[in-house]
Parts: sequence; structure tokens; C-alpha cells
Amino acid sequence: MNRFCVKVLVLIALGGSLLPALLGAGSRQSSLGTKSAAPAQDLTALKSAGSREAPITIEVFSDYQCPQCRVFYLDTARQLMQTYIPAGKVYYVHRDFPLSMHSHSREAARWANAAAMAGVFQSTEETLYSKQDQWGSTGKIEDTLASALSPADMKKVRAIEATQGAQIDAAIARDMALGESRGVNGTPSIYVFHKGQMTPLPPGGVNYSLLKQYIDYLLQQR
Amino acid sequence: MSQASSIAMERPRTRSKVGFFLIAARIVLGLVFVYAAYAKLHFNGTWHLRDYYFLFAMGIDSYRMLPLVIVEWMARILPWLELGLGALLVVGAGVRWVGLVVSALLVIFMVALAHAALGGLEINCGCFGNSSVKPSRELMLDAGLLALALAVSVGGFLSHRARKSQA
Repeated sequence: MNRFCVKVLVLIALGGSLLPALLGAGSRQSSLGTKSAAPAQDLTALKSAGSREAPITIEVFSDYQCPQCRVFYLDTARQLMQTYIPAGKVYYVHRDFPLSMHSHSREAARWANAAAMAGVFQSTEETLYSKQDQWGSTGKIEDTLASALSPADMKKVRAIEATQGAQIDAAIARDMALGESRGVNGTPSIYVFHKGQMTPLPPGGVNYSLLKQYIDYLLQQR
Repeated sequence: MSQASSIAMERPRTRSKVGFFLIAARIVLGLVFVYAAYAKLHFNGTWHLRDYYFLFAMGIDSYRMLPLVIVEWMARILPWLELGLGALLVVGAGVRWVGLVVSALLVIFMVALAHAALGGLEINCGCFGNSSVKPSRELMLDAGLLALALAVSVGGFLSHRARKSQA
């Protein structure tokens, strides 16, 4: 009986120590998967907001240095995310489409992808658009982000940006290839997916009030 | 005698050439307007009779010229107006007045397109739905259409006056 109790206690102790280790290994596996997997890894989910099960998906191909993208983000996208994402109505997907005419937009996209991998994409996107004038003229993207993110987050973003360059470039290239396959030639280019149908919105950004009317109309069609 | 008769023969021939050109211009113009309406109401492979307005309103608003209330009204009305005017031109009803309205409409479109082109707006003109081209290129097409519309309208007024004087 005593020996049996000892065996049970040993098993419990082993289980107690092994289980967290196994779970930890699992989570480490997934975090490794996020940070250092092969270039085939898709960063889309990390650059998105809301539930993938939402009835409407809005995909926006944008360039961080494009003034119309800034206006769209600040005047429309933010309100859209505040209104429809907590309600589970919209899944908002950011796609990178840095235009060659903007000298710092690719670098900004690299930082944004690094921030996505560090789990701070939303605040980075907000900073890049709201302070576009600041870094757009000087090219000091890192300094601009450092002034907005916490030192710990910035440290993570810097480390990822320095070590995961190939993966970040592959993610940007993948977004651009997708955009080109759809005929995107300017930003912002916005696509609305509803009931399996893709509808491109007129290029050049969209007024929030008009977009809201359209989304509400689509939601009524369920 | 023979010279006089050849002149007399020449006039109707010239008139018929002009008349043929005006009929062709009216039909081409009408078809372009009908197609413009069709492209706004039918896209992505299906009719959008209930929701065409949302996307077209976004297109008009991208010109950043008009308050939202007017944008919304224009988006509701314009495709049907284009369809009506185009159909009237094709069947040849009220040609001189329809030609004038179409000319006025084209002038308005051209002002908007020039505003977009000069302002460097990277937008799709929205004139033919999703298959539209850049404002600067559409401006040239509209200039050609305006010439046709004015010719149709002026031709319509002249032939109307000729018929009246004959009566």
C-alpha cells in the first residue's frame, strides 16, 4: 500500500513537472513558428483585426507613406474597427503594397511586419499613419516608433527586424503578389468579401459614412 | 442646265451624308450612355439594382468636390438618367433636347475629371463602373463624346427648323 502510494505520488510529481514542460514546448513551438519559421509563413493573421468568422472581411492594400492611405486609416478604418470589430461583424486585413514612388514605404512596411511578429501591429500601424509627416520626410522610422512603443516592445521589434529580414520581405512580397494578381496599381485598394463574393471599392479611399451604409446593407442580407 | 442639275443633285447627297453621320453619332452616343448605366448597375457578374448606389456614391465622393448629400442623390439618379438619355438617343426621340442635356452632363463630367486630373487624385473615374480608366484618359473620351453630342443637338435643331420652314 505504501509502495503503491509512493508510486502514485511519483507519477503525480512527474506529471506535474512534465505537463507544463510539454505545454511550454508547445507554446514555444508556436512562438518559434511565428518568429523563425521558413519564409513560407503567412503573417496575414498577425496584421489583421477581428474574428475570421465575421460575416464581412475587408482587405486593404496600403502603403504607409501614401497620404490617401493615411486619410483612409485615420478617418475611416479606425472608426470601422471600433464599430464593427468588437461586435464580430468585420474581419479587417492589412495587406502591404509599398509603392516604389515613396522612398521610405518599404522600410516602414518592414518595421510594421516586425511589429506584427512582436504582437504590437495595431499600435505600430497607428503610429506610422498618425506620424507619417514626421518619418515620411526624414526617413527616421525607428525613432518614430521608439517614441510611441514601450522600450520592451521596441526591443522585441528591433530584434525581429534585425534577424527575420528574409521572412519579412517574403511576407511583403506575398502581399504585393496578391495585389498584383488582382490588378492593384494604387493605394489604398480596398476589397470587401461577403458571402463568397469579392467587391473592389473605388480606389483612393472611402468615406466612413458611405462605407458604413454599405456594410450595414450587407449585414442585413444575412 | 447640266451644271445646275449637278448642283441640285450634290446638295441632297451632302445632306444625306451629314444626316447619316448624325444618325450614327446619335446611336453611338446613345449606346455609350446605355453602356455607362449598365456598367454601374451590373458588375462582378451580377445585377446590383439594390446596392449599386453604395459603390457608385463612393466613386463620386472620391472626387472630393461635393457634399455627401448631393453625392448620395447623384449616385441614386445618375445611372437611370444615363440609361434614359441613352435610350432616347438610340430610338431618336427628342434628339435636339436630349443632345443638349447630354452635352450639359458631359461638361459637368469633364469639369469633375479635370478637377481630379489637376489635383493629382489617383482615382478611378467611375464613368463605366469597375472598367473605368484614369480621369486624364477619360477626359479625352468625354471631349470626343461632347463633340458628338453637340453635333447631334445642333443637327437636330437645324433639321427641326428646316422641317418647320417647309411646312
